[in-house]
Amino acid sequence: MKFTESMLRDYVETSMTAEEIGNLLTMTGFELEEITEVNGEKVLDVNIMANRGDGASVIGMAREVLAKDESAKPTDLYLRAMNGFPLSDMDSRDIWAKASVAIETENCTRFSARVFEGISNGTSPDWMQDRLTKLGQRPISLLVDLTNYVMLETGQPMHAYDLDTVAGDRLVARQAKAGEKLRTLDGQDHDLNPDQMMIADGDRVVGAGGIMGGEETEVSATTTRCLLEAAHFVNTSVRKTRKEMGLQTEASYRFERHVDPEGTVGALNRFAELLADAGGPNAVHGVIDIYPAKAERNEVTVRMDRACRLLGMEISMREAQAYLTRLGFEILSSDDNALTVAAPTWRIDVIREEDVIEEIGRVHGYEKIPEINPEGTTGRGGVHGIYRMVDDAVSSLVRDGFVQSFSHTLGDAHPLDAPGMERTILRNPHSPEMAHLRNSHLPNLSATVLKNGQDNVHTFEVGKLHKSGTEWHGLGIISCGNFESESWRETDKSKADFFTLKGVVESLGERLNRSITLAPSDSDERFHPTRQATLLSGRQVVGVIGQIHPSVAEATSLPEHAVIAEINLNDLFGAEATGDTFTSLSRNPAVRRDIAFVIDKSVAYSKIEDSIRASSAEVLEKMWLFDVYDGKGIPEGQHSLAIALQFRKHGNFTDEEANQVRDQIVAGLESLGAKLR
Amino acid sequence: MELIAKVEAEALAAIESATTTAELREHELAFLGKNGSISGLMREIGKLPNEEKPKFGAAVNEAKAKVQAAWDAKSASLKNAERAVQFEQERIDVTMPARHRSGGRKHIMQITMDRIKDVFTSMGFVYEESPEVDLFSYNFGALNYPDDHPAMDEQDTYYITDDLLLRTQGTTLQGHVFETVKPPLRRFTIARTFRNEAVDRTHSHTFHQVDVFMIDKNVTMAHLKGTLRTFARAMFGDEVEVRFRPDFFPFVEPGVDYAISSPKLFDGKWVELGGAGLIHPNILENYGIDPDEYSGFAFGLGVERIPMMAYGVDDLRLFTENDFRFLEMFS
Repeated sequence: MKFTESMLRDYVETSMTAEEIGNLLTMTGFELEEITEVNGEKVLDVNIMANRGDGASVIGMAREVLAKDESAKPTDLYLRAMNGFPLSDMDSRDIWAKASVAIETENCTRFSARVFEGISNGTSPDWMQDRLTKLGQRPISLLVDLTNYVMLETGQPMHAYDLDTVAGDRLVARQAKAGEKLRTLDGQDHDLNPDQMMIADGDRVVGAGGIMGGEETEVSATTTRCLLEAAHFVNTSVRKTRKEMGLQTEASYRFERHVDPEGTVGALNRFAELLADAGGPNAVHGVIDIYPAKAERNEVTVRMDRACRLLGMEISMREAQAYLTRLGFEILSSDDNALTVAAPTWRIDVIREEDVIEEIGRVHGYEKIPEINPEGTTGRGGVHGIYRMVDDAVSSLVRDGFVQSFSHTLGDAHPLDAPGMERTILRNPHSPEMAHLRNSHLPNLSATVLKNGQDNVHTFEVGKLHKSGTEWHGLGIISCGNFESESWRETDKSKADFFTLKGVVESLGERLNRSITLAPSDSDERFHPTRQATLLSGRQVVGVIGQIHPSVAEATSLPEHAVIAEINLNDLFGAEATGDTFTSLSRNPAVRRDIAFVIDKSVAYSKIEDSIRASSAEVLEKMWLFDVYDGKGIPEGQHSLAIALQFRKHGNFTDEEANQVRDQIVAGLESLGAKLR
Repeated sequence: MELIAKVEAEALAAIESATTTAELREHELAFLGKNGSISGLMREIGKLPNEEKPKFGAAVNEAKAKVQAAWDAKSASLKNAERAVQFEQERIDVTMPARHRSGGRKHIMQITMDRIKDVFTSMGFVYEESPEVDLFSYNFGALNYPDDHPAMDEQDTYYITDDLLLRTQGTTLQGHVFETVKPPLRRFTIARTFRNEAVDRTHSHTFHQVDVFMIDKNVTMAHLKGTLRTFARAMFGDEVEVRFRPDFFPFVEPGVDYAISSPKLFDGKWVELGGAGLIHPNILENYGIDPDEYSGFAFGLGVERIPMMAYGVDDLRLFTENDFRFLEMFS
């Protein structure tokens, strides 16, 4: 909300500069956005908190200054405002001969009006035009400028009708009827429904109360008789209707945040006095004021010991009473500790003891609150369970040379999305390309690869993935190209392939205390059909691994040699944990035997490993495949494998013993069809 | 005896004349080895009368020691010379470029989140998460938002259905925790949050919030301020001060906006970090917690703001673009 420095000084006398006032308002909660100088005067722009509609007025701002700055004094104008800008004609009933008003809906709780005759709706006084212009508003006419100006001062939205256009000289606040229409004064046509509260005359709807008036009853240059409305509307009704109508106005902004229902007549009076000052006619004597149920003030009792305890600072009863009085609260009673107050009608946000405590605290000053670390009981803090596993997965991948990516959840459909899932999709996306919640990290990771050279990138991401009805912590990995950058030295030429990534995944399992094994598969269309596997932890499927499908590589511009893996960390977390176990170390030397044999390629290596383990009992410490050959001299469909075996036991191995174990192993392999070379 | 002197002279001359360690090793075999000429002298001893044997033996040993000493000295000097040549040949230019393994690296957001977790876990807070796609009620109703209130307008929300939305704030964890955990409790989360906004240098539809809350007996605004100061100092240095100013968030009362400043940072200005306050008594009561017995505080702030402020990162988009040139600036 914007106001000029002089508008505020009309209501409060303070030695503070505009900047100091801005800072004071910030420290009361109305944050100063900026001070600008327009035509030689400072204009302050402050943020209004969503529960503080009373702040959207110069009087509200003046009240905050008076509460916080003990040396500030209210001006006569402020004191008159607090009395409702009293005029002497208010008991007259002359006005009833000119117009009438009725309320036929719960969504209007007060409808006040004045009537003016013999108007010449020219321009508003220079000083008013000057102030409005400084606030960025365009002066329109005397009547319109006056409603705008008085709203700025008092916070009460008002609407001026050309009374000659009002059928029956009568206005009613009521719900719209089905089929009714309204053209608002911005020229927009609206179809109305019975959930919307409207102002109607004898014939038709003439305005959207609290939002915007209608074009047909708008004041114009030829207007001579004017009915001025100052009403109070229920905030939720205004909010609902203005959203449906697609409108947002200064009036609706205020009603949504609450306007003081006690302020309608005062605003009419202020209008009347400013109109007369501007050379206009006096109002027709009397005020129409339909006010079925007077607004009640919230009465709240605050315990000062509790206030001091929650605020963490000492404040005396005397100080608390002074702060609250300056804010417009009435002290109803007090004893040593309990203080009962009535909150002003412009402060419906004050309901509970804590709300009053906040008022006391913010006027006293939050800068006086000391800084103390928490005391009391505490359990074991920390990052545990699945959240620990996610962090540990990050560390594992980083140790293996992978760079962590961090990407958006929202995106478009992508060839690397996880297949066969009902997606979670936004109903109101910012753009169609941002409608899908990711169900895989691979689309974003492919973007990381493309952004960083299109090859020789090893990257991963952890984070939530989504499908309809559920979300989980996912891990995605893409690995492609060299592990070491090109160098003037002869470097490690090994490139990422299925087996380097398999190693990364196995290391991950080891560090997370979960077994991860591979089972051949061919069903995931993102992967090369003969180079993919399902990842298992025990019997639980936890993910997939494979080389990218060449068609997907083509579609995404990723290199064909890229290898990728995805793991559902929640599933992995749920799988059985493998503990670390100690076995006593043999201090005897190990012996090594190498075997080389030819075997059908169709025999899975895991079968060979299983057979070797089964034949060698406990003495096999380690085995490793060190050569695979399928060239000249090897029958079609077969290959030659060379495996190193390392044996060790408690006590020395003799050559014969080692040979015996080797022979058992060979016998086992022969039963799989192996022929020793 | 003459023979000894002759062999000794021969050996010394040969050693002296050697120019390589390889040559010297040949002389070692020829003179000092098992079948060398000095060892051969010992075999001459058998031919001598008994009374001369000791004297001859001593003389041979003396000669052998002398030759050995000469050999050792020559060997050392030749080795030094050869090493000197070798070292010159092996000279490298240490200023040539290093070789790097493709190094793993945490993302700056992860680094920041790890630091945040360190601070709060060390203060006894338990890390927890709640869903990104959550019920409307956890995002608003459970947090004391009045029905259809303008406070919701500040959080343009993405909806999946009428009831399901992408959470707009990390505070949604509160309802999930209060349903299952009784006080005293200390919890914190780092939550990915979403608002329906266009992306530019300073705005994004996706950002992250740290949200921290505790409930215990006698929790006060002073504890809130103390915790914030501890946190802010861990992130931005020991000279950081914390300032509160009143603000409105439906889930706290009193509610504040907190700002930090430090003589060395942010041009000495106050920089607002986030919202905070004492947990609203309506919320406590909704979960069966007596506000006269317990009180609690809650605060939140944007995670991205921490590196933006600490390093002067000037574009929010960098955090999700995964440009390695950016990521490599932080470790």
